[in-house]
Amino acid sequence: MAVLPPLGGPALPTRDPQSDAYDRGRDLLGVETANDAIDIVQLDDDTMELNMGPQHPSTHGVLRLVLQLDGEVVRECRPDIGFLHTGFEKSFESHTWQQCIPFTDRMDYLAPLFNNLGFSLAAERLLGVEVPLRAQYLRVIMCELTRVASHFLWYGTSALDLGATTPFVYAWREREKLLDINELVSGVRMHTSFIRVGGLLADVPDEFYALVNEVVRTFPSFIDEYELLITKNPIWLERTRGLGVLTPDDALAYGATGPTLRGSGIPYDLRKAQPYSSYDHFDFDIPIGSHGDVYDRYLVRMREARESLRIIGQAMANLPDGPVNTSNRKVALPPRNEINTSMESLIHHFKLVTEGFRVPHGQVYQAIESPRGELGFYIVSDGGNRPYRCKVRAPSFSNLSALPHMVHDELIADVVAVIGSIDIVLGDVDR
Amino acid sequence: MTTTAAPTASARPSRGRRAADLLAREMPEALLRTHDEYGEVTVYLHADHLVRALTLLRDDGDAMYTLPLFVTAVDWPDREPAQPRFDIVYQLRSLQHNDECRVIVQVTEDAPQVPTLERVFAGMDWHERETFDLFGIDFVGHHDLHRILLPEDWVGHPLRKDYVSFGEPVAFTHNLEWALPAAERPRDMPGTSR
Amino acid sequence: MGLSVDAATGLPILNAGADAGAIPLPRVGDLERTAAKAGAITTTIEKVIQWGRYSSLWPALFGLACCAIEMMATGAARYDMSRFGCEVFRASPRQADLMIVAGRVSQKMGPVLRQIYDQMPEPKWVISMGACASSGGMFNNYAIIQGVDKVVPVDVYLPGCPPRPEGLLDAVLKLQTKIAAERPSSLRG
Repeated sequence: MAVLPPLGGPALPTRDPQSDAYDRGRDLLGVETANDAIDIVQLDDDTMELNMGPQHPSTHGVLRLVLQLDGEVVRECRPDIGFLHTGFEKSFESHTWQQCIPFTDRMDYLAPLFNNLGFSLAAERLLGVEVPLRAQYLRVIMCELTRVASHFLWYGTSALDLGATTPFVYAWREREKLLDINELVSGVRMHTSFIRVGGLLADVPDEFYALVNEVVRTFPSFIDEYELLITKNPIWLERTRGLGVLTPDDALAYGATGPTLRGSGIPYDLRKAQPYSSYDHFDFDIPIGSHGDVYDRYLVRMREARESLRIIGQAMANLPDGPVNTSNRKVALPPRNEINTSMESLIHHFKLVTEGFRVPHGQVYQAIESPRGELGFYIVSDGGNRPYRCKVRAPSFSNLSALPHMVHDELIADVVAVIGSIDIVLGDVDR
Repeated sequence: MTTTAAPTASARPSRGRRAADLLAREMPEALLRTHDEYGEVTVYLHADHLVRALTLLRDDGDAMYTLPLFVTAVDWPDREPAQPRFDIVYQLRSLQHNDECRVIVQVTEDAPQVPTLERVFAGMDWHERETFDLFGIDFVGHHDLHRILLPEDWVGHPLRKDYVSFGEPVAFTHNLEWALPAAERPRDMPGTSR
Repeated sequence: MGLSVDAATGLPILNAGADAGAIPLPRVGDLERTAAKAGAITTTIEKVIQWGRYSSLWPALFGLACCAIEMMATGAARYDMSRFGCEVFRASPRQADLMIVAGRVSQKMGPVLRQIYDQMPEPKWVISMGACASSGGMFNNYAIIQGVDKVVPVDVYLPGCPPRPEGLLDAVLKLQTKIAAERPSSLRG
């Protein structure tokens, strides 16, 4: 095994785009125009430029990294993003508020419900709409189920990156059960659009309770099983401990949030710090790491999945009865029987379906704790039926910007482990 | 468990009040005005004092806004001609005081420039590049300001309001001519290449 | 059966219709029966080639967005794509003959996608998975290419946003049927 360079690089990765060596590599590669999948160029000064991605199995999406290598050691890493740039923020501006919800689903596609929730909460704050408690609890339940699903998927894929095939199959076995719940409540497996502005798509069916209680009962033992596979696995320990260290100060400077920040030992979780959607009703802990390395981030995610199950258990036990949509008929669709009997309801229905509701003038920033970190929606309304501007503060974007710092002076084989550990979703990075 | 609604945010002072107070006390010359709505204070700053003001917000013990959340811009092309067209929005978070603040600097269409903050917050680097990419705002002094999301050869800045966005028209019964091959469409049809 | 006979060549053609997914059987006549009694199986070279092609499709890893997650689900425990001989996802396009374009294709990704397609050896097929890849889907804006068929030729369009794993399996079966009905001499390349 090669001798590892000392952990923790300088404060900022040194980049010199003007240097001759860099330019030569760029010209040889034709970086501006062609995008070969993997290409290696030997430069004059004993460093080598390796082009990784954008189509690469271990980049968790279409991420491209230009790595400057000295032997096997990464001297410089330049991420190139935007290969999944979808123009969400432009599309928001031409759709009504409620129509934006399906767009939000597809941004961070591993945690669609969190996107729904963030957008809905921001719009509800502008509207001044209070959501019934049952809807708030169901939002919490569905979001935490999604968090578990997202962490499981992360567990499977990042273990796969390091050559462990079995965890992938195990994690998907359980994830399918969570997707079944999504399907039960909304009809689709992934992009449910279940959380809407003003409440929910609909109340949950009767089968929901048994399924979720089964999840709460059985999933801790599945997590035990997962941990049995790799937590003390010598190969996993060798490849993750002391790697990709992010000190608390650096994590803050780069705007890292979520498990990436908490892995560095900062116990910051918006569910506790700024409780939304009744998170203050539940008792749960915030797991933190102590070294800020890949292994700590893994432990944090596994613990978080357990805490999520605790939250779901409490929410299920205390789930109140009542409506799941706001009674404000200018925001939520009136129930069917009301439309048949009340002319006013019919008009509301017609107005909501044809042009949507109007949102008062103003700007808000609403942040929630997604599986990847602080997911924020900064929404500016000009009083119309469409958002004037909707900026999404994507956690993966900021977390990924710390990657060059984390892989500096690490071995090339460890780059995939670090990418995996920050749990990026390219739909979230590029939007 | 009672079925009371969740406590609302109105019980606590508006987020960002701490930043507004600090700036009014320490740097009154930088502060143009503050605006408090929906429980959030927005601070409007003079662009010349931006770097110093945000460094103060980061370092002062009363503020400690150490976590950069995002930088973006809002385009207001319909403002009066003399008014600045772009709002550059900075959002910061303070973990120590559990607070967040929003700072807005306004720039004109003719000179859409603000000083870069990447030396104050390392995490601002990519956000400034994104804002440059999508809005064409020039962050003066940024070490590596080029497009980040779109291809390098892209023309225009798509999140500006005057950028026509739709990709391809959809042919419905009232505009069936869109279903024709491009060469056979009427010449005066509106549309765009993107 | 959706079997019909090509008027020009007299060879059987399997139509991708109601019974899509069915595997074309060799036509059995007196000659074949006689040979079978002697312990020999007769067929044509073309059929053997077709059989080899449709029975072991190797997809290139081309996950882009949400659909990639459903593609992974199709390969994972519950749906198990390997039941249809299609589970060997290759990271290198040089080793693949099927490209499942799973997700929205941005303007920036378009050239990359084309290059990877060009790197795949012939014969090769493309499944356009999901609404975005097939038509741009809900993203009718500046960033997304309105259908991957503007960049590469597509064999099977799979609707859904994202399509269910069953849908992807059906698309693979449809493609297998299509390959079985192709004549090697008429294949691209």
